[in-house]
Amino acid sequence: MTFDLKTAAEAFLSNWTVVPATMGLAMLILALAIIIGMFIALIRIYRVPILSKLATVYVSFMRGTPLIVLLFIVYFSLPDTVEFMGKLFGTAVDPNKVSPLYSVIITYSLYISAFQSENIKGALASVDKGQMEAAYSIGFKTSQALMRIVFPQALKVAVPNFCNAYIGAIKALSLAFTVGFVDILAKAKLNSALNFRYIESYLAAALVYWMLCIALTRIFRKIEAGLKKNETLSTR
Amino acid sequence: MKPGPDSIFDIFMKLLENVPITLLVTLLSAVVAFFLGIAVTAVRIKRVKLLYPLVSVYISFSRGTPILIQLFVIYYGSPLLFKLFGIDINGWSQIVFAVMTLVFHNAAIFSEIARPAYLAVDKGQHDAADSIGMTGAQKVFRIIFPQVVPIALPSVGNLIIDLIKDTAILFTIGVVDLMGRAKLIIANNYGIGKVSVYIVVALMYWFISAIAEHGVRLIEKRNKKYKFASGLALGREDHDV
Repeated sequence: MTFDLKTAAEAFLSNWTVVPATMGLAMLILALAIIIGMFIALIRIYRVPILSKLATVYVSFMRGTPLIVLLFIVYFSLPDTVEFMGKLFGTAVDPNKVSPLYSVIITYSLYISAFQSENIKGALASVDKGQMEAAYSIGFKTSQALMRIVFPQALKVAVPNFCNAYIGAIKALSLAFTVGFVDILAKAKLNSALNFRYIESYLAAALVYWMLCIALTRIFRKIEAGLKKNETLSTR
Repeated sequence: MKPGPDSIFDIFMKLLENVPITLLVTLLSAVVAFFLGIAVTAVRIKRVKLLYPLVSVYISFSRGTPILIQLFVIYYGSPLLFKLFGIDINGWSQIVFAVMTLVFHNAAIFSEIARPAYLAVDKGQHDAADSIGMTGAQKVFRIIFPQVVPIALPSVGNLIIDLIKDTAILFTIGVVDLMGRAKLIIANNYGIGKVSVYIVVALMYWFISAIAEHGVRLIEKRNKKYKFASGLALGREDHDV
């Protein structure tokens, strides 16, 4: 079998139809991951008893286990969990009709949150201690000081890693075809199932990912450059 | 054979049989990726003509696409490519394609780690080595390389853990490693007890990753003892002055 350019071109075009959904989902996952990661980071920084130990084990487990194994665990245990919850709260949700999308969102946001918690921890640690002291000295509460003084400064440090994590999430979503979520790779797989031209479809999908990544990297570089410009202006 | 789910211990023992394959694939890929990565880094640092743009495209592609798609492209594409040269590789084991993919993916990442680490070594170190009449090879192996290692080690540790985790996708082309065996056990039981099998798998991967991380930590400590890092700090101070 030789390489068929026409099939590849068709596959390339049809792959773009799922790009917006993939990008949106990656955005949602990253947002959830950052929120969870922030709580984990705060728990570990403030050394909350018991919880801090749990958080350490959680981060270690998430970082040491393949994403696909976690995805399978969540995907196959979700129907039972939903059934159990349904009985507990008396709501009638058919466990077999739970979309695989929920497993994807839960698994990915938990997985990425472990990595982001490290990033956020580092970013918060990079903010000078004097900033917190200054905030206390003018009568801020801890929550106020964190929200108004520390977080905005830490954000600058953390954003480059957020950008990388976003691209990482888009690439990692290629694993989600195993549970039936149609992203770019799954689309390629479906195409190749119709015409048995695997290599054309996969190369087309690879090209889509590649272009997407290059474009996103360009955009994120600009954002990072903009952040750096602000940094020199700040009094820090 | 008795139908129904096995005990956790049985599952563990069965999975343990296939851990060597996971480790073999990891180790083989790591070693080959290490050497290829160094070659790629050398091309990038020396800006070798013709090869340099090629290597840039390779790194961009390797970093811009998911490893899963690289696996599929290599698994389905390399037989076509080899056929052009009259070599039939359809009979080759899936493990070969698995290692090819992992090497392809990780050599690029390794070069992204090695290049900045190499550039981080102070330029004065090169000059000093040259001034006492060292040859190029002597300079690299005795002066530069020992200083690159402590800078690169933490990232290399992460790379190795990612590599171990990436082997979990190899079941998609039919490699029967830890994950592939888990799939087979589940299929044998008609899907009964699959969650517990996957939990055991997760714990086993966690254990392997933890050992790898611990190993890297030990090497890091040993490097500190040899004071390569402090020599580096000295170089940086000179630079600042």
